[in-house]
Amino acid sequence: MWQSLPELGTGIVYAILVAAAYTFAVALAAGRGRPRLLQAARLGAYSTCALVLFAVLLLSYAFVSHDFRIRYVAHYSDRRMSTAYLLTSLWGGQDGSLLWWSLLLSGYTTACVAWLKGRYRELQPYVIATLMVIIGFFAVLMLFAANPFETSIAGARPDGEGLNPLLQNYWMIIHPPCLYMGFVGCSVPFSFCVAALVTRRLDNEWVIAVRKWMLFAFLFLSIGNVLGMMWAYEELGWGGYWAWDPVENAACLPWFTAAAYVHSTMIQERRPMLRVWNVFLICLTFFLTIFGTFLTRAGIITSVHSFAQSSIGTYFVYFMGVILGTSLGLMVWRLPELKSKGQIEAAASREAMFVANNWALLGGMTFILVSTMYPKISELWGESATVGPPHFNRWMGPIGLIIFALMGLAPLFGWRKTSGTSIKKAFRAPLIALGATVVLHLAVGGYLGYPFFVPRDAFYPGVVGVLLQKVGSCLPGITIGLCGFNVAVIVQEFVRGVSARRTAAGKRGEQEPTLLALLRLVEKNRRRYGGYIVHLGIVSMFVGFTGSAWNIDRETAMVPGQSYHIGEYDLKYEGSRRCPGNPKCSAAEQADIEKMMIFADLEVTRSGKKIGYVHPAKFIYQSQPDGPTTEVAMMRSLHEDLYTVVGQIDPQSKRATFQFHVNPLVSWIWMGLLILITGTVTSLFPELSLGEVGAWSYVRGAAGVATGTAFAVWIAMAPGMAYTHERPEAAARRPAAASSRSQGQLPTAGLGAAGFVGLALGSVVSFRRRRRVDAKSPRD
Amino acid sequence: MNNRFHFGPLGALLQEIPTRTLRWLAPLITLLAAITAGTLFGVQLVVLTLAAAALLLVIWLLWSSVQALAGESELTFEEAFSLGARSAEEEQKRAVLRALKDLEYERSVGKISEDDYHEYAARYRAEAKRLIQSLDENLAEGRKQVEYELSRRLAKNAHKSQKNPSSGPGASSAAKPDASGEAAEAAPNSTATEAEPSAYKTRECPACQVKNELDARFCKACGKGMTEAEESHS
Repeated sequence: MWQSLPELGTGIVYAILVAAAYTFAVALAAGRGRPRLLQAARLGAYSTCALVLFAVLLLSYAFVSHDFRIRYVAHYSDRRMSTAYLLTSLWGGQDGSLLWWSLLLSGYTTACVAWLKGRYRELQPYVIATLMVIIGFFAVLMLFAANPFETSIAGARPDGEGLNPLLQNYWMIIHPPCLYMGFVGCSVPFSFCVAALVTRRLDNEWVIAVRKWMLFAFLFLSIGNVLGMMWAYEELGWGGYWAWDPVENAACLPWFTAAAYVHSTMIQERRPMLRVWNVFLICLTFFLTIFGTFLTRAGIITSVHSFAQSSIGTYFVYFMGVILGTSLGLMVWRLPELKSKGQIEAAASREAMFVANNWALLGGMTFILVSTMYPKISELWGESATVGPPHFNRWMGPIGLIIFALMGLAPLFGWRKTSGTSIKKAFRAPLIALGATVVLHLAVGGYLGYPFFVPRDAFYPGVVGVLLQKVGSCLPGITIGLCGFNVAVIVQEFVRGVSARRTAAGKRGEQEPTLLALLRLVEKNRRRYGGYIVHLGIVSMFVGFTGSAWNIDRETAMVPGQSYHIGEYDLKYEGSRRCPGNPKCSAAEQADIEKMMIFADLEVTRSGKKIGYVHPAKFIYQSQPDGPTTEVAMMRSLHEDLYTVVGQIDPQSKRATFQFHVNPLVSWIWMGLLILITGTVTSLFPELSLGEVGAWSYVRGAAGVATGTAFAVWIAMAPGMAYTHERPEAAARRPAAASSRSQGQLPTAGLGAAGFVGLALGSVVSFRRRRRVDAKSPRD
Repeated sequence: MNNRFHFGPLGALLQEIPTRTLRWLAPLITLLAAITAGTLFGVQLVVLTLAAAALLLVIWLLWSSVQALAGESELTFEEAFSLGARSAEEEQKRAVLRALKDLEYERSVGKISEDDYHEYAARYRAEAKRLIQSLDENLAEGRKQVEYELSRRLAKNAHKSQKNPSSGPGASSAAKPDASGEAAEAAPNSTATEAEPSAYKTRECPACQVKNELDARFCKACGKGMTEAEESHS
């Protein structure tokens, strides 16, 4: 049997297709109201998912046993790689990542089918059928375009080519799975949407059903995108975290529509409005996930992230056609039932603000989509245009600011309409905060190195160019002002909520301490206050994004003994060393046989005080001797990051070229992610009642939240752990100890993976718990 | 009779194990096997053990699916329960109640004027009342039907056990339909007594004496918790 593992693998992929087709047919038959068939469809769905798991385990076995007969294994691994990286190779290339995608989709399908047991009887068959079509599509892709079990024509090699060194990074171990979790997660809301359209159950039932699934997908889209930023920031070595690369853009497109849906669904839950809009947003979000995958894999647009060009794009085009045709066809078919039975009564209402926010998010998404595709679109009329980061930065600044302002405005209004008195009362504190922030920024910003105005060049000729230049110059100041406004809005919401609780308790003759009132407020309105916490995370991220306006970027060449001054730092170049071989190298560096490492040792002094060393490096991997990788060295703080990169090092004279960047406030982005995760987990947390579900559910729920939060904390802390700089006294004992990322990463990666699994389990448990609550309160 | 396992002695053994236990036991055994294999032979055997477990799972699930398709397995209680899916009106009721909750919150934090609050609250309450009445009317028919079916089933069971006292509880599902449901009336045991088609059972609220459903947690008239009211009453 072992001689035919590749054939067995291919056979299993065929079996996945057959099982998905069987389940699809049975589910459709069950849709005609035969419960026994529904049971068969549910079991069929489980078995399809288990088959995908089996296929993934077979490929994992091929990797860990170095079965180089399989082309994919030979291409993305070698005998020197550790087990952790061997398993990472599963999604390191095109073919395996499709299988990995299928596995995640199977995980979602299993969770969804288990959750559906005993509920949404009419929707269930069509949800299963739609999910099976998506799994079937990926099986077709693997069979006919990118089979991960395909054998090499030349037979088994003695050793493989190894994983791209750029991918041998701990962010790369968790970034793609997180992003895929977000992408794949959008399949479940889409399936519910199709089921609702087919069965004509277009009231709030399906909207309530998909709410948490979409929120879960949104959480992972956020995590995946930010982890991608971290990877780019630490591994690509150009000094930034977001380069508006087509693949980065494709990854953030569904985030915009998912965020829009998370808001607009709140309107439909309360009033029979925006039904077409919500259906449209769900279909669009799913379409964008497939489109993003197509963009990454078809190779139609040049990108550092793209997989090798292949025939896979044709299949994606057909599938996107099917999605578009099905979605639009169903929407047109059900248009009479989808028509709104209500309307926005006043512009000064939360509905109106949400709709404006939706349009702004959709506008931002459309701008990024069109700009990303423009080089390809322009080929239609014989033009060869390129769209670079300056174009995106100039336009996305103002667009982002509109979204940011609307984010702050919406909570100040009530549903339906808000009276003038209420508006005055609600706006008072946030406007004072806005004014105070602006005044403070104007007064001390320049002194601290964060001036209110940052001069910009005119990027376009004409009025638009001048306008964008003026707006761009004021953007840092306005953004910080709006941060003050948004924080005040959030704080005010909490304060008003706590105050209302305490007043109500007082009327009942009870005393409720402030902290207890705050906890109970969040507990009773998790979704609302979880949302506000998410907003706080977004504010923190905006602070981080704004920091790029005050970046300092320098390039220089130095010989040992020379110093360079940048910002508040003085960097003294002490010399270079090659590891293994140099006596100053640490034991781990001496023992590393995978690569040759050339470090440049720089002593860092800040305002005349020595604060440590940084060791930017070039790594030359044995598997890819022609492609040395750039290893960034950083010193981080909340205030700013000192980011150093070494270019060329002359082996004789030791003369080296350097890039130095001082990047203010970048850590606020990572901190924002932590807050965003906390807020989303709070919103996802199910409504519990001790009397109904028992204390054990509380324990499990708390465990779910704790692991989620631990994961968030780990994300925030891990860079610090990876780049720990020694204190001077420790440095004196081991002066040349470089911060090697290969050490100490895997335990943290393991912790992260554990947290990740915990979060997923916690969420699944939450769904189960919710079911129990529903089952015990059938009249609710 | 449960036809889920037909694998000779192993099938007989598995049939003895309740499914709920199997749900926990199978992953536990897999995990232990994987840990043992990993400790003794390395990571390759761990992956192979897990793959073998996944393959067994596939076979079992597909077999169960085909059995369900062929009608050889029984409908579980949960699936039967799910047949009574929520109606659109129930969903509307939930939406209206949510809107009322929002309205109360917005009033408490001063986001809505008193006049607007009263106007909207009256509108939502009227809508909620209409929906609840409509739901009650729809449910009344079903409730009668369920009670009739339940009493008939219990009567049959009672009759069966009287005729064949040695048969186990599992035999009831295999029993042929008995045309004479009235036989229950003649059954002397307590099951038969409970099974009599009875009037809709209620219990009084200890605080206001309004009749509520047996499983009600709060009184529909005064809103007091039934348990709480009982305690305070006593």
